[in-house]
Amino acid sequence: MHRRPPLRLRQHRPILQIVLALATAIGCLVLPAVCFPEQASSPPQDIVFKNATVMTASHGTIEHGSVWVHAGKIAGVGTSVNAPADAVAVDATGQWLTPGIIDPHSHSALDSDVNEATSPVTPSMHMIDAFDNRDKALYQALAGGVTTELLLHGSANMIGGQAVVIKNKVGLDRDAMLFPNAHGSIKFASGENPKRVYGSRNQLPSTRMGNFEVMRQAFEDAKEYMASWDGYNAKVAKGDKDAVAPKRDLKLDALADVLRGKLYVQIHCYRADEFLTEEAIAHEYGYKIRAFHHALEMYKVADKIAPENTAIATFADWWGYKDEAWDAIPWNAVMSMREGVKVALKSDSNDHIRRLNQEAGKMVHYGGATEDEAIRMVTLNPAWIIGVDDHTGSIDVGKDADLVLWNKDPLSTYARAQKVYIDGDLFFDASLPGLGTPHFKGVMHDAGGFGGEDGEDGQ
Amino acid sequence: MKKLIVIALLSAAPLFLSAADAPKKTIAITGARLLTVSHGIIENGTLVMADGKITAVGESGKVTVPSNAEVVDAHGMTVYPGLIDPETNFGLLEIGSDENTTDTAEPSDEIMPHMRVADAFHAETELIPVARLNGITNAVVAPASDDTIAGQDIFIQLAGADRDAMILGRDVALAMNFGAEQRRRGSHSAFPSTRMGLITQLRQSFFDAQDYMAKRDAAAKKDEKPEAKKDDKAESKKDDKSDTKKDDKADKPFKRDLKLEALIPYLKGERPVVIGVYEGYDIETIMKVAQEFHLKVILNHVTHSQEVLDKIAAYKVPVIVGSIYDFPRANERFDAVYTLPAELAKRGVKIAISSADAGGPVSSHSSRNLPYAAGFAVAYGLPYDEALKAITLNVADMFGFGDKLGSLDVGKTANVVLANGDPLDVRTSVKQVYIDGAAVPMVSRQTQLRDEYKK
Repeated sequence: MHRRPPLRLRQHRPILQIVLALATAIGCLVLPAVCFPEQASSPPQDIVFKNATVMTASHGTIEHGSVWVHAGKIAGVGTSVNAPADAVAVDATGQWLTPGIIDPHSHSALDSDVNEATSPVTPSMHMIDAFDNRDKALYQALAGGVTTELLLHGSANMIGGQAVVIKNKVGLDRDAMLFPNAHGSIKFASGENPKRVYGSRNQLPSTRMGNFEVMRQAFEDAKEYMASWDGYNAKVAKGDKDAVAPKRDLKLDALADVLRGKLYVQIHCYRADEFLTEEAIAHEYGYKIRAFHHALEMYKVADKIAPENTAIATFADWWGYKDEAWDAIPWNAVMSMREGVKVALKSDSNDHIRRLNQEAGKMVHYGGATEDEAIRMVTLNPAWIIGVDDHTGSIDVGKDADLVLWNKDPLSTYARAQKVYIDGDLFFDASLPGLGTPHFKGVMHDAGGFGGEDGEDGQ
Repeated sequence: MKKLIVIALLSAAPLFLSAADAPKKTIAITGARLLTVSHGIIENGTLVMADGKITAVGESGKVTVPSNAEVVDAHGMTVYPGLIDPETNFGLLEIGSDENTTDTAEPSDEIMPHMRVADAFHAETELIPVARLNGITNAVVAPASDDTIAGQDIFIQLAGADRDAMILGRDVALAMNFGAEQRRRGSHSAFPSTRMGLITQLRQSFFDAQDYMAKRDAAAKKDEKPEAKKDDKAESKKDDKSDTKKDDKADKPFKRDLKLEALIPYLKGERPVVIGVYEGYDIETIMKVAQEFHLKVILNHVTHSQEVLDKIAAYKVPVIVGSIYDFPRANERFDAVYTLPAELAKRGVKIAISSADAGGPVSSHSSRNLPYAAGFAVAYGLPYDEALKAITLNVADMFGFGDKLGSLDVGKTANVVLANGDPLDVRTSVKQVYIDGAAVPMVSRQTQLRDEYKK
């Protein structure tokens, strides 16, 4: 089931998930291929794509354009490039070339370990500890042109866990799929989910008042913790050999990182009033909010949020699945963009992640985004939210060669990803038989098709 | 028209189509690209609507525009029949997480043929105007898939003066399901907890209904006969009813069994049963039962049927295929489900496509995305005209409205959509929807919010 069904329907699902989990667990024991995938040889040093419609995402579209890739980086882009004669040429006549699609809100490949829903404040959870790099969802997303994902904690907790940024190099081992040196992000939530999860257990929080109070209290604890460490460090600096280090507390360590600005704060938040409250609390405690996720009511207050330099990662047109999604309108993204908010589209779903390009295409319809603006919502803008826009998200010299070749205009319904390159290496090729994965020959896992639209599945 | 829009903007309540009440103008859409569905594409065509019906369709110049017609110059525009969503829960579900707004299924038993969607259909739902703005003009409303027999569907028009005007057909089909989902009692150690149990229960229900039908018919005959000798005997019976003896049992008034009675039209093959089933082996199992009882089948979903496609074709039944966004299994090719409409159509199967999302239909908030599912099927090999049929004429045919809806043909209901391009492309904007020959105000709760906050 994809859309959030009435709660009682969902009771059937854990059974299915247990069955699937058992099946995959057994598969792993029985089939050694699960643990030893083949890996293809290294990619060519130079590749040149010729005669493509190049949608750069940063500087417009180049008709009959060429892109030169050298050693995994983009070395040239334009109507002509200075690629060496021995570069592997890809004739892209009649095809479109875009940056790899980037999803700033995914819960794929976490084997249902999305929410540590045992406390409303769990900042020391690290999603990498649950990352299953063989989940079929990664492959299915790759086949839809997705090259980078931010795998987030769910929204059960006001302060959730720390995200992991991956490059969708299906077939490589776990650590080879991590985005090198990516900035850390932490997931916060607000609204219905935390208050429902804890309220249903008669715990704090059970209201939006409780939600925000839990958050403030956590930061008060963190301030005290920081002060004790600052005091200790000052003593050490003065040469005080008797200084006793405070006890390390992983939870408070993580919160201190938020207050010190070391983690990007990604907040699950729907309602206009809550954006304002979240910004006020951020000001009060001195951190910045990188992005509001879902953000379905941003169109109501976009002019107030734009000066905060907080982006949004929103749905194209999902609505109505819960009360706080009742005022969602499909013009939200473009209206907010016109007010100066940086806008990305995201999946929050193993389904929609496979066709984020179409979600971008809808923005041409809903609000009249230009094709350039639309493609940016699934490439450069999500790259900014994740903090990897210096490395990927557009076709510019020096950036990683994360590229997708499409048979039709990627903003249309009809586009299929033909080839997907990450760091200049071919990870998906639709013309190949079987899975079309040059690097993956093993057996995939199935975590049951996560499809929740607001990150609360897996509870 | 202008007045209607004003009314719409002032009204906080969602619209039914107030236009339906307005006197029907004659409208001529000229110079448009007409996708007729039934007889190809007319590049520069004219379509005339009068009295709620399509009265002329053809090349511009060959069609006479009546002198009283309001002319809509549609050069550069595309015109096509209103889209028909073959599976929704419009009016049964408003806010997904709010059970108070949910009337999608009655899960107290697996066999619930007497649940009638018509009894729960909330015509004022906000979901309908939202879908309508993207060119959806008709839909099947079905219960959710909890039960083996979930209830009886309605066929609706997405505008009308009131609920009854919007329901074009009550009890048009029986909603059935078979697969893992219906085994829910297993967790309570109650029957049925397996597919064996589900099938036994289902067959027994059909036999019970056949038996009931025989008894009812016999009782009816008996009722007829005494008509002639509607005698003192009957009168006297009435008096000493209290001490009815065994022998007199048959003379008791026949007590209706609503549940079994509901199955009769379907056992007689008078109306279709829509069977939601995903796995190939489940399809084979349930089709055996369907054939045993001579049911008139429409298969639904079949998303993991790749290995039995030829068999499905051999059943000679229509198929609502998808959601094509349903997930392939691990280690299947990524497009194993995307390609199903094309594979079935290639085998001569009459297909429809619904707006259901991955894993099955749970809410109809995204019914407006129906044309994009059809377009995506085109991306994976379905011929364009088949795709358009799969969301118009084929759906109308399957549910008994093929003579009234689904194509631009003279005499059909004037449900017509005017858009600025290809209806199956996500970038296309619908500019005007006509239902029953009247322009629908292009307003929903969402456009009202948009306009309220627009700078």
